[in-house]
Amino acid sequence: MRVWLPATLLASLLLALSAGMPVLEPLFNWVQPGKQQVIYERESFLFLLQNHLMLVVVSAAVGTLVAVAGGIFVTRPFGRDFLPLVGQVASIGQTFPPVAVLALAVPVLGFGEAPILLALVLYGLLPILRNTLAGLEGIDPSVREAALGMGMSPVLVLVRVELPLAGRVILAGIRTSVTINIATAAIGSTIGARTLGDPVIAGLVNGNTAYVLQGAILIGLLALTTDSLFEALERSWDRRLQSVGV
Amino acid sequence: MSITEPLRHTVPNRVIPVLGVLALALVWLLDLGTIQPNRIVPGTGHGLLSALGWTGAGLVTGVLLATTVLSMVPVRRRYELLLGLIGLSLATMPLLLDVFAALHLPEGSPYARSSVGAGFWSLLFLLSLMLIETLGRLSARRWLQLMLLVFVGGSWLVFLRGEGLESLSLVREFNARPDKFQQALWTHLALALGAVAISAGLAFALALKMIRSPAWQRPLLGAVSFLQTIPSLAVFGLLIAPLSALSSALPFLQDLGIRGIGWAPALLALIAYSLLPMVRNTFVAITEVPESLADAARGMGMNEHQVFFQLKLPLALPVIIEGVRITTIQAIGLTAVAALIGAGGFGGFIFQGLGQAAMDLVLLGALPTIALALLADALLTMLAASLKPTPATA
Repeated sequence: MRVWLPATLLASLLLALSAGMPVLEPLFNWVQPGKQQVIYERESFLFLLQNHLMLVVVSAAVGTLVAVAGGIFVTRPFGRDFLPLVGQVASIGQTFPPVAVLALAVPVLGFGEAPILLALVLYGLLPILRNTLAGLEGIDPSVREAALGMGMSPVLVLVRVELPLAGRVILAGIRTSVTINIATAAIGSTIGARTLGDPVIAGLVNGNTAYVLQGAILIGLLALTTDSLFEALERSWDRRLQSVGV
Repeated sequence: MSITEPLRHTVPNRVIPVLGVLALALVWLLDLGTIQPNRIVPGTGHGLLSALGWTGAGLVTGVLLATTVLSMVPVRRRYELLLGLIGLSLATMPLLLDVFAALHLPEGSPYARSSVGAGFWSLLFLLSLMLIETLGRLSARRWLQLMLLVFVGGSWLVFLRGEGLESLSLVREFNARPDKFQQALWTHLALALGAVAISAGLAFALALKMIRSPAWQRPLLGAVSFLQTIPSLAVFGLLIAPLSALSSALPFLQDLGIRGIGWAPALLALIAYSLLPMVRNTFVAITEVPESLADAARGMGMNEHQVFFQLKLPLALPVIIEGVRITTIQAIGLTAVAALIGAGGFGGFIFQGLGQAAMDLVLLGALPTIALALLADALLTMLAASLKPTPATA
């Protein structure tokens, strides 16, 4: 259980700060003297946190589903023709800067949550797709043959052998994708999404460093919490593999 | 997987027909372009037929049908033919916008502008996918890919600078601020490349430290990966307060232009971000040179200095360059975000455009950023490939 401790601590700190930021008012008064208001109040931090998380979770879920399904399709005999192209697109797509992708989504869909969600899904899909391909292609062909030889159907081989073996690599892809998307969703504030980037942008516009700090601290904590959550997930995955003796 | 040479020409391709049919559907369903009376008023969209007339629409359809058919019939050298056809189509795509503007732009209205529609973008995207697929099937050499890139890119530049596309809103936005564009380009390059260069030097020193004293490995790698976990907006935000405190405490820093916002926090954040890929790749590359090779070199009478500079470093170089590639692409993207704290660069156009709801200004910032990233990717991949040691043929 000790692997989950950092994630739990960070999550509690994140929640406590989101709920109780006004307690720190004297501190921010010291950081930003001469401003009437030093605590961002246009929207509650808890609401912004919830909205930020919702964007990231939805895009990660959709991205994972699409990427894993796509990865499976192009590694089956009937989809193998598409493998080189899909692999290339997954790696070329990742050279596109996330901000540019976010900016390009606006002319297509307009301002608000929809373009952000589209950009997050499309961009977040790529690392997961790449890792799914690496995971599935990295399996020793003899393992697959052995499973087929034991009389397992191809579908069963996929579900019981290939996906569990590739799972650890796919999880690493999801971790990369979520890390990028937390950062991109924060920038999404500039195109009208309500996320923890809001206080930062508002602070930059009004020259209020206290707002900027509040947003930046919460975004940083959110990223650290999520990262340590994935760290714990990966550790417990490794431990389970060790106990099975793979 | 490996298809032998004669077979490659007889197996029908299944990818290009799918892309071709999709391109045909999208190009006929979506608007190819829009005409706006001025910058603010929303424009009227024109589909393929209305935008280009029967000749143009027929030509586009014909080319897409030809690629689809050509990819399925067993003709000798059909991938070479496809490469020519697709490359030429990509290079002449701006001509479509040229014709569109000539047909639809009202005479004598200096504020009217044409913009690119979703159909055009879809066509560009799908043709690019076909090009990637064809290049892959031909297992084309890097120099051929680069030449093609130069050909297509050059042709676009020539068209965009020509008179026919003056009404294109993207060109209008550019013509309204050519100096600012150039300044943004230099700022962007200076910030991104400066950060990469500084962090490369730092990372090299850190990697050497890690190799000499293994006790440093875990804390150093931990620290640099911690830095990379924090989202860019947060890092930029967190640097404002300490830097502005520093610059008000030390006036000579103000003279250097170091303030809470501007290039200083941007550069610092970019360097911090660049450290992880750089340190990791440099460290891994140098430690993975087999010790047996180093022993052989020592046996030949090389001293440790020579072993490092004449053996380990050259062998490690491709992996180090790979680190530089990842870092450069990342830095180019993050520099765009740094515009939020007043660092300038192409991000300035993006956020200014988003603020004014001027989509073409957004494009003027976003497209060059993407182009820079793709260019850096292509050049550094080639550099890494050319530095790979070729096995000696005895």
